[in-house]
Amino acid sequence: MTVKYFATIRTYTGESERRFDDAPATLRELLAALAARYGNLFRNAAFAGDALNPEIIILVNGRNVLYLRGLDTPLAQEDEVSIFPMVAGG
Amino acid sequence: MFGWTGTTLRVDLTKGTITREATDLELAHDYLGARGMGGKIMIDEVAPDTDALSPANKLIFSPGPLTGTFAPSAGRFEVVTKAPLNNVIAGSNSGGAFGPELKYAGYDALIIEGKAAKPVYLWIKNDEVEIRDASAVWGHTTPDTTDLVRAETDEDAKVACIGPAGEHLSPIANIMNEMHRAAGRSGVGAVMGSKNLKAIAVFGTGAVTVADPDRFKAAVMKARKLIQAHPVGGTGLKAYGTDVLVNILNQTGALPTRNYQDGYFPTADKTGGESLAAKQLVRPKGCFSCIISCGRVTKVDNPAYAGYGEGPEYESAWAFGADCGIDDLDAITKANFLCNEHGIDTISLGSTIACAMELFELGVITAKDTDGVQLTFGNVPAMVEMTRKACTGEGFGAKLAQGSYRLAESYGHPELSMTCKKQETPAYDPRGVQGIGLNYATNNRGGDHVRGYTIAIEVLQNGAVMDPRVTEGKADLDITFQNLTGALDSAGACLFSTFGIGAGELAEMLSAVTGVEYSVDEFMKIGERIWNQERLWNLKQGYTTDDDALPKRLLTEPIKTGPAKGEVNHLDKMLPEYYQLRGWDEKGVPTKAKLKELSLA
Repeated sequence: MTVKYFATIRTYTGESERRFDDAPATLRELLAALAARYGNLFRNAAFAGDALNPEIIILVNGRNVLYLRGLDTPLAQEDEVSIFPMVAGG
Repeated sequence: MFGWTGTTLRVDLTKGTITREATDLELAHDYLGARGMGGKIMIDEVAPDTDALSPANKLIFSPGPLTGTFAPSAGRFEVVTKAPLNNVIAGSNSGGAFGPELKYAGYDALIIEGKAAKPVYLWIKNDEVEIRDASAVWGHTTPDTTDLVRAETDEDAKVACIGPAGEHLSPIANIMNEMHRAAGRSGVGAVMGSKNLKAIAVFGTGAVTVADPDRFKAAVMKARKLIQAHPVGGTGLKAYGTDVLVNILNQTGALPTRNYQDGYFPTADKTGGESLAAKQLVRPKGCFSCIISCGRVTKVDNPAYAGYGEGPEYESAWAFGADCGIDDLDAITKANFLCNEHGIDTISLGSTIACAMELFELGVITAKDTDGVQLTFGNVPAMVEMTRKACTGEGFGAKLAQGSYRLAESYGHPELSMTCKKQETPAYDPRGVQGIGLNYATNNRGGDHVRGYTIAIEVLQNGAVMDPRVTEGKADLDITFQNLTGALDSAGACLFSTFGIGAGELAEMLSAVTGVEYSVDEFMKIGERIWNQERLWNLKQGYTTDDDALPKRLLTEPIKTGPAKGEVNHLDKMLPEYYQLRGWDEKGVPTKAKLKELSLA
């Protein structure tokens, strides 16, 4: 599984992507593992309490997890997860 | 007189006359200023069958009632004229500092009419207005023109001007102000060129007076806090600029690639705002009264593409990047510099080069047509060279400077032009994001994103969310954004202020400035009035429901790769509901009842 980081999230991780040989079962587990790896800046960006932070955008294979199952979105080894802060432009 | 100055300046370049007239404040209450008021003036004064490049067309520079105040990120103006690209009302919105200065000089609007016998520029210093000889600046780039005109007028003058593209009457030429900010779309620069008007320099020492200073101050402070607290308005846009969108659109599968042949570009990250911030960015920069600072002062050291200037914005980085199959951000930045220096629209030109690349790869055109250049997707030097040629009008560049519709049609393949109403569509693939497709199809100036930015909800999760893949609810979403933007543009505000504030905050600031009470409903109704006004003009130009369309490719050719693989746009599921919710008949014509409701009949 590949996890890609963008914009300010990339400054929290210090890398633009990371591959995982064993995909966590759910997004919740993935984000917890990433928070443990990258620290509080990442944790605060990802979570609001136990919930998903409304100011983070997470795509699994291009689909916003808000249209999937949120933190309970199941993950598979072939998935690509993209993590963004809120961004905009035009 | 609050918010509005009460005076409109009219310059007839044929007669050489300069007159001042009272701004019609009743109309101003209903249309605010900028896009709305400019459009109303144009409709009242320009016959629908006027040739856009004839002296009978008019060119209107119009700030809004908030312009020139310290309302946050609200210092904008609009250039309104009949568009040479596609005959619509070209309302091209720009930041910079030109709009506020026009207010300080005393004017709600500047109406240019006729045609000068020889190149001229306009010098406005409060109530002293002169038409001056511009033979010494004709032919110069926009930065050089700005410097030369300032040297002859005032070093603090704010200058709006055209570059060589406007002089050559390219229907995708723009008007630049403060060297780097563009009134970019629909060919407004060609109208200025057709009038032999090279530049307008303005310097004002007046002020914009406010009806209720205490109320305004409170409203401004609230708006500032909301924008600063927003992750985008307060942080994201300053750090990464608009080009930060490259990655989220690509990862969504909606980054148009190689002339919309695909919706995913594997190496897009090299062209995004993160890469720009790491390499080319010198510093962020804001327009007048802006607390967001999305502008990018940039520099390219690579000798092949060396330069200094501003940008690229997301749209420009996409047009010269993914849409041309290119991931070299130095080259993309250089192409953007060239466009700004020569005064040509980056979205339309980048998309036109992408169209030419597809024509080349299909064998419709060959190196004989392209001055010997192998114009294939991904050919970086070829992209920059074609940009240069289009900017100067040299060789094949003269054809590129006509925009993609005229180019593709001239070779018998108009279907390869990715345009709506002949204007190039921007950097969001409607196959991956349904609602933006409806906006492109119904937009009153053709391919356009800023007047119906559903992306904020469909992709960017700004305040609310809607699934980009579904069509349900998108008609209503589009209408809301289109109406909101009509009012917001006309007030003089920046679209990006909506990353923090909404119609409530804008209506409150507007009420405090003008002394006219605007509720949220009334504010939105103004936007709806303006949208319908523009629609009526388009109907007079012969546009019909058949033109509320997308390029056939987006309806029938699924995205080939990436997250949105297999998707097409389902415009037919959204358009009838859009007409119904607009109060239009099945042919897209506003009903009498709707026009009466909006005081348009």
